[in-house]
Parts: sequence; C-alpha cells; structure tokens
Amino acid sequence: MSTIPEKPSRISVEERLFSLVLALIATEIGLSKSEILSTVQGYRQRYAVGGDNASLERQFERDKDDIRELGIPLETVEPPDDPGSNHHLRYRIPKGLYELPADVSFSADELMLLKLAATVWREGSLSGESRRALTKLNSLGVDSTDPVLGYSPTLRVRDASFEPLSKAMDRGQIVAFHYLKPGEGAPRRRRVAPQAVVLHEGRWHLFGTDQESQATRTFLLSRIVGPVTNVPGATFVPDGEGKGQEALAELDALWRANLAEITVEPGSDAGVRLSKRQALEPGLLAGESMVALHYTDLNILADELAGYGPEVLVRSPVALRAAVLSRLVGVRDAHTDPAQEGTA
Amino acid sequence: MSAAPALGASDKLTFLLSLVPYLMDHERVSVSTVAAHFGVSPERVRDAVNLIAMSGIPGDTRQYLHGDLFDIHWEEFETNDNIVLTHLVAIDDSPRFSAREAAALIAGLQYLSSLPENADIEAIASLMAKLTRSASATPSQVAVSSTEPGAAIALIKVAVGNGVQIEFDYLSSRGDHEARHVDPLRIESVDQDWYLRGWCHLRGAMRTFRLDRMSGLRVTDLPTEDRTEQTLPDTLFQGSESDLEVVVELPAAAVPLLADYAPQGAGPGRKDGMVLQSLRVAHFHGLKRMVAALAGVVTVVGPSEARALTRDWAAAGAARYDAVVPVQDE
Repeated sequence: MSTIPEKPSRISVEERLFSLVLALIATEIGLSKSEILSTVQGYRQRYAVGGDNASLERQFERDKDDIRELGIPLETVEPPDDPGSNHHLRYRIPKGLYELPADVSFSADELMLLKLAATVWREGSLSGESRRALTKLNSLGVDSTDPVLGYSPTLRVRDASFEPLSKAMDRGQIVAFHYLKPGEGAPRRRRVAPQAVVLHEGRWHLFGTDQESQATRTFLLSRIVGPVTNVPGATFVPDGEGKGQEALAELDALWRANLAEITVEPGSDAGVRLSKRQALEPGLLAGESMVALHYTDLNILADELAGYGPEVLVRSPVALRAAVLSRLVGVRDAHTDPAQEGTA
Repeated sequence: MSAAPALGASDKLTFLLSLVPYLMDHERVSVSTVAAHFGVSPERVRDAVNLIAMSGIPGDTRQYLHGDLFDIHWEEFETNDNIVLTHLVAIDDSPRFSAREAAALIAGLQYLSSLPENADIEAIASLMAKLTRSASATPSQVAVSSTEPGAAIALIKVAVGNGVQIEFDYLSSRGDHEARHVDPLRIESVDQDWYLRGWCHLRGAMRTFRLDRMSGLRVTDLPTEDRTEQTLPDTLFQGSESDLEVVVELPAAAVPLLADYAPQGAGPGRKDGMVLQSLRVAHFHGLKRMVAALAGVVTVVGPSEARALTRDWAAAGAARYDAVVPVQDE
C-alpha cells in the first residue's frame, strides 16, 4: 500500500455498507465506481490515488451483492453519451423503489400474525430472512396485539438441498443433482431449472423444468443424493409469481386422486391418529376400524403404515399392501438372530 | 471464511436502516423503549445511534461536513438515555422486503393458516398481497400447505380465554388410555405435529401432549390456577435418569432422520458408509415403531430386549397378511 489509510480499522462493515446505501440514495444521476471508492466512508480511507485499488474494487463488488440480498434495489446505469461502456457505469438506489410503498401499513392484529409467521422459521433456513423482515416491520412503529393462547410454531428444514435450491431459484440458475427415484435402484443425474420449492404433507418438493425432457417435474428433496451444484453459465428466466401455488395445487390433485383403504385396531395408536385423517368422500365405507386415507406417494405412506405394525392392515391398493408387507418382513428378518430362527 | 460476520453485518445494516424511520416518527424516545420494541439489547441500540449520528453522505464537498451528517440531541442521549433525531440525511422511510424475506413471511402465514387467529381467509389473502407489494422483487416461490391441527386448538383457545381446564382422553406413547385434566398454556408445533403444553392435574406436573393422541376433548368449568410461577422447559420432552440406551445401525447419511432422539455422538464410520449410533429412549414402545417406519434404513443392534421387541412387532404386523385373503382391486 502506497498511502497510509486514516484509521482503517475503525470503520466497521455495517458503517461502510450504511454509508454506501446513504450515498447511493442521495444521488440522482448515480455515482461512478471511482467516485464511490474515493469518497464514501469505509472505502475512501483505503483508496490509493492513482494507485492499485483492485482489492477495494473486489470489496465493492461483494458489498453490492450483500446490499441487493437485503432487497435494496442497487441499480447500474449506463451513461447516455457512452452506452455499453463498462468504465463509465454509474450506481444508484432509486428512493421510490427502496421505500415501502406509501399506502402499505399493517394493523396491530396483522403484525401479531406476521410475528407468529416469522417465528415459524426460527431454526435454520430462512431464519435470518425472517429476523430481518421483522426488524423492517418494527420500523413502522406499530405495537402488535398478543394472541390469547401462546403459540410456538416451528418448521424445520432438514433437507440440505433446500438452501442451494431456493437460492438458485431466486437467481434463475440451473442446477444439477443426483436423484434416487422411487422404484429405481441407482440415482441418476438430473439438470433442473428450479421454479418453486414447496412443503406438502410434511415433505419438501422441488418443482422445476427438467432440462433433458424439457417438461415440468416434481422431486422430493429427501431423495436428492449428494450436493446440489450450479451448472456453470446455465441460467433461465423464472416464471415468477404463482409457481409455488401451482405446484401445491398439482400435489393436492395427486393426493386427492390416491386413496388407500386400511383396517385399524380401534383405540390403538393407529386407530386414534389415522382416524383423524379419514378421507371425506361420499360413498366411502367408514367405521370404527375402517379408514380411507389420501396420499401423494405410495412409498412414503408405506413407511408410515409399517411403523404401526399389527395395528394396521392394508386392504387396497394391492401395491401398497405389498409395499407394507415387504417392509415388515424386512424388519422382522433384520432383527432375527440366526440362532433364534426356530423360536421367532 | 467471512460467512458468519457477513450475516451479522446484514442484520446490523437492516437495523440501522429500520431505526432511522422509527426515530423520525418518535420525537423523543428512550433507549429502553426502542430496545423493547425491536427486541434487542439497550447496548445494541446505543451502538446503532452512535453510528447513525456520525454517518451521512459525502456531500458536495465530499468531505462529510456537518450538514451532510445525521445529528442527535447529544445531551439528551448522554444524560437521559433518550434519542432525539435533529438532522436527517437521505432516508426517511422503511426499506422494502427482499424477495426471500417476503417469501419467509408468506410461507409462515400459509403454514399457520389453519389457526383460529387466521380464520378470516380474505384478511390473510390481503395481508399476503400487501407483503408481495412491499417486496423489492417477486417473492421467492417457497410455498407451504397448511397443516390441519383440527378443531382442538379452537376449543383450547376458548378454555384459555375463560380461564378453565380442559378434559380429554389421552393415549400415551406406551399405549395406555387415561382421562386427563389440564390447564392449557401453550400450543407448539414441529412441522406436521401439533402439541399442547400445560399443567397436568393427574401427574401434578408440566406435560406435553400430542393433539392427535387426544380424544373427546371438552372445555370444563373448573378454573385453572395461576401458573405464571412455573416455567415451561425449553424442549418439548425432557430426558430422564430412567431412560434406556439403545444402539442402532444406519447409513451415516440417514443420521439426521433421528434428530428427534437427540442422538449422542456417532461411532466411527465404516467403509460401507454405515455407522453405529446410540440413542436414549424412555421405553422401547416408541423405538419399535420408529424402526419399523424406517424399514431398510435403521436396525437395532442392542440391547437384545429392544431387538426382540422390534422383531415381534414387525412379525405380528406381517402375520396379519397371512390370515386374510387379499382384497383384489377390481
């Protein structure tokens, strides 16, 4: 370094980012990169006049990304007299796009619901986003009402693929992963444009365009094997709003179309819990021990029903019956020691 | 790597950008009021105010002169711990949500849409539309179908509102049915599963109940006692001295499936990718169900009593299919 920076260590990251946001909001025509680096607090202390500022420029590139991640519309403006030139790009934050629309306000009751909604994500994925959304809501100065009954709702995302998939989706980035399709022995590599990530019946699904078939496919996140990687240089334009609801509607239709009929032991765990999920369809034979269940995935329902052991007998469909029986036989055999076989 | 500090900086920057419009709307406000409103420590508020008061824009001179900076009433701040903004720069309104922030709130609302608080579907739809409009980009397409905790929550809410006990038949995880009288305190959920926490008069202690194991729930006219003295433990279920230790074998990649059992350290991984994992369980009845529901993934290694119970459970389930003629799909 050729210049001696003035107290560089005293400028914190948030002070530099805050100063950058203020400077870019205050400017109408935008600031060029060299103007930013030489004048804005946090950069100017490290700026070398006429020297090499490569590391400072990389810092600015990272800061831009961080600021945009927070939903701040940092724009790049090409100068009208020199279009296409990278050297004379200017940066600004249009105030109208930065601020909450003037007609948006939240009531105390709405704020109570939003606070509850944010606590859903207090573990893991989206917890930082929820926390920051609440901070922004608090800036409106409204005090929320308290619900009569205390709530502590939680959604946990255990699938490691949630984070890379949802980020790739926001950036319109095509991803690749190995997928173990039910009924197939070995995982196959898939390239997918992620359009929505949805939770249905307790399971996370990816809804996306398969690049091989160029058709929409649904993937269970729990069956993605290994890491999700970005396909270099492969991007797409997300279809945007409504894709999540479309995916949920499709899964709902699938769920409604599948019906399993089972017999449960009255009063048992299966009897008490599965009866609460009794399908409400006209013409169904429902009694104390007969339960009809909708489902989206036969293998997942088979796992669950096998857990109930002798409390459940599957009547139909035949494929579900076979899947549950083979699981029970498998568990029985895996826990039978050779010496005991005669007595088991 | 700078990943962790970067997250901290995002939170701090968001706080600074949110604090300015709040202070603008409050002519004079104490540090403690701000701290309580934003749910942060008073120190964090003071740090942020100090930083804001010395920040601003380069200005025409590019020298950050006095008029280009925020300013506060320093004496009020230093003597009385009150904040009075006296000069504003550049920003005067709350920032928009990012696509992911809006998506997190919208998906959270969807998850909770079956709560009695969310009964007004139109009000929820308009709230989601407002969030969408308040985001600087189309909210990320993360959607969540609502869970159906059933009518129980509405009844429990009535009981809490009236300050009375509830009564229900409860099927314990050991398989016993018992009539319970409970002072309801809080509803918790983890993914699809809903729980009631409250004071159980039968046990004379705080207990957690699964909503889907309750039958015949009704609101009584017996008053509840003031339970504010008792604190709810942080975790839904507490381990006890009498817990039993079991060892299971499973693929290393499947260990997260056992998170509910707070598995202790796993044994060393083997070449075939399998690990031995020890768990603590209150009794083996839950274990045999869990292992049967993870058929082909988890195997009980020991003790032999747990192995035998699991084998008998699966064998009894399989035997049911010997006894009946399969029903054919027509």
